[in-house]
Amino acid sequence: MIDVRDVSRVYHRGADEVHALEHVSLFIERGRFVALMGPSGSGKSTLLNLIAGLDRPSGGVVEVAGQRLGDLGEDELARFRARHVGFVFQFFNLIPVLDARGNVELPLLLTKLGRAERRARADTALRVVGLAERADHKPSELSGGEQQRVAIARAIVTDPEIVVADEPTGDLDAKNAVEILALLRDLAREFGKTVVMVTHDPRGEAFVDEIHHLDKGVLRDTVAGGAGGGGA
Amino acid sequence: MKFLPFVWRQLVRNKLRTALTAGAIGLAVALVCLLLTMPAGMNALLADVASNTRIVVHNEAGLVYPLPYAYLQKIRSQPGVVAAASWTWFGGAFREEKGVEFPNFAVEPDPLGVVWEDWNMDPQALADFRRYRDAAIVGRGTLLKNDWKIGDTVTLKGTIWPVDLRFRIVGEIPSERAPHFWFQREYLDQALRAAGLGGLDFMGTAWVRVDDPARVGPVMRDIDAMFRNSEAITASETEKSYFANFFSMLEGFVTIILIVTGLVALCIVFIAANTASMAVRERIGEIAVLKALGFSRRLIFGTLLAEAVLLAGVGGLLGALFSLVITRVIHAQAEGWSPALGPLGSFIVTETILVQGLFLALFVGMLSGVVPAFGAARRSVAATLREVF
Repeated sequence: MIDVRDVSRVYHRGADEVHALEHVSLFIERGRFVALMGPSGSGKSTLLNLIAGLDRPSGGVVEVAGQRLGDLGEDELARFRARHVGFVFQFFNLIPVLDARGNVELPLLLTKLGRAERRARADTALRVVGLAERADHKPSELSGGEQQRVAIARAIVTDPEIVVADEPTGDLDAKNAVEILALLRDLAREFGKTVVMVTHDPRGEAFVDEIHHLDKGVLRDTVAGGAGGGGA
Repeated sequence: MKFLPFVWRQLVRNKLRTALTAGAIGLAVALVCLLLTMPAGMNALLADVASNTRIVVHNEAGLVYPLPYAYLQKIRSQPGVVAAASWTWFGGAFREEKGVEFPNFAVEPDPLGVVWEDWNMDPQALADFRRYRDAAIVGRGTLLKNDWKIGDTVTLKGTIWPVDLRFRIVGEIPSERAPHFWFQREYLDQALRAAGLGGLDFMGTAWVRVDDPARVGPVMRDIDAMFRNSEAITASETEKSYFANFFSMLEGFVTIILIVTGLVALCIVFIAANTASMAVRERIGEIAVLKALGFSRRLIFGTLLAEAVLLAGVGGLLGALFSLVITRVIHAQAEGWSPALGPLGSFIVTETILVQGLFLALFVGMLSGVVPAFGAARRSVAATLREVF
């Protein structure tokens, strides 16, 4: 499903070269809930961006859902993200002028669906995350946990194979963090989504199938999470 | 079209800023629309004022140079000329401190009713004007402005000659746009003689009624040919052309106003561009999220540009409609002319001008939106997410 082979990512900051990732290889099977962990600057967000098609590698191959992302142009990458990837961010990043339903409906504007069908699918996604009754509320009228649920509904409304989450519990209290982790786990178990999460949150370890530790741009080890049965 | 509600929501997220920017654009468009009415308005005014059988003869060197009075008789003898009258500027001031407030001319009383037949002056007033040496016929505009009525006596103080003349008003020119003050040439002639200044042997202009509109051209050519080798060469022109010359000075003024308006419109482009840039800067994180969700660069560019164009379009439409309504209201009030509003009633915002104003607004919107939209669209999504979050 996700095949990262010998991937490097080098940034140029002025005259300096920053090696964010160095020769990382990784394979994630469909329907797995995977955590990328490591200290700040370890390259986990860079790896997530490469898997999500937000960035291109400097070397190596990133193959997701059968597509080599390094070969795609900007517009093709945008289409790839729209079709195959759902995003969950640390700070929810909902559009403040749209209500919950409007936010969830947003990715569907890129499809050919009619207005009624878009609305119906957005309501279904909000039901999945337990927020059907809050559909008409603006983000400012929702709690942090509720906003993150709306963001998850937005991530799954197009039925993508992959959901990427960058520090999804980073801005939540303990109770909401656990609920969000459980929701992401359910997306993998019950809906067959491949969920890749960057996190510092140690509570996440209990929910994921596998954990990949990175440090200084290098993949150090892969271990089984609390929900998984295997490791490497 | 499915993105229109999304674009509209983004546009009204900061209502005050949107309203102020739309107001600025609307005001500029209204101004441009009003100025665009001037050429057509002046033509309409000229067509309304000028007769097609009346010509004016003046010194080729310019209006301030006189013509020998003997020319008038020669002009009257030309084939096709029905009647001719002269105007000689007196330059009298009713209120000395205000100077000359209305044009006052010495004229011959007999041909007035014929040369200005189309002005429908009261025959009794014309008869009284002929009868009384100190009689004056005054345009209704000047009567109303000074709160005079027929039968009043007024004194004009000479600003060119050292004579003050006292007049009795015996009639009016029945048009509110008529500012004229006519009195007998003989009265001025005698007053000048009495003051030891000699009589009037010159005139300012000669006004000629031609029997047929088709003969106006030949008559003008004949008159000018007659005086070609004389001490004062004449230049004849139609009444419309004569007034157009006055308006041409105004057209120069209009050109300046149009240039200033263009600069104002340019300023509005900068204001709108600044608004668009601020809106984009504030939402750079949101735009990165939209890109992450799969919105292409082209789509981001399109929605941001649509926002700027929609804002300018709404502002421009309101401004253009405002100018349309205001000119229609003034037109209805003034019926083309009123003492209070002057010629403003002749200036009408037409459907064509309305469309021109709207296109100007859309152009302003595109110009102001294109740079910020392009900048936002080409930013790298990963870099922006890293910077903002």
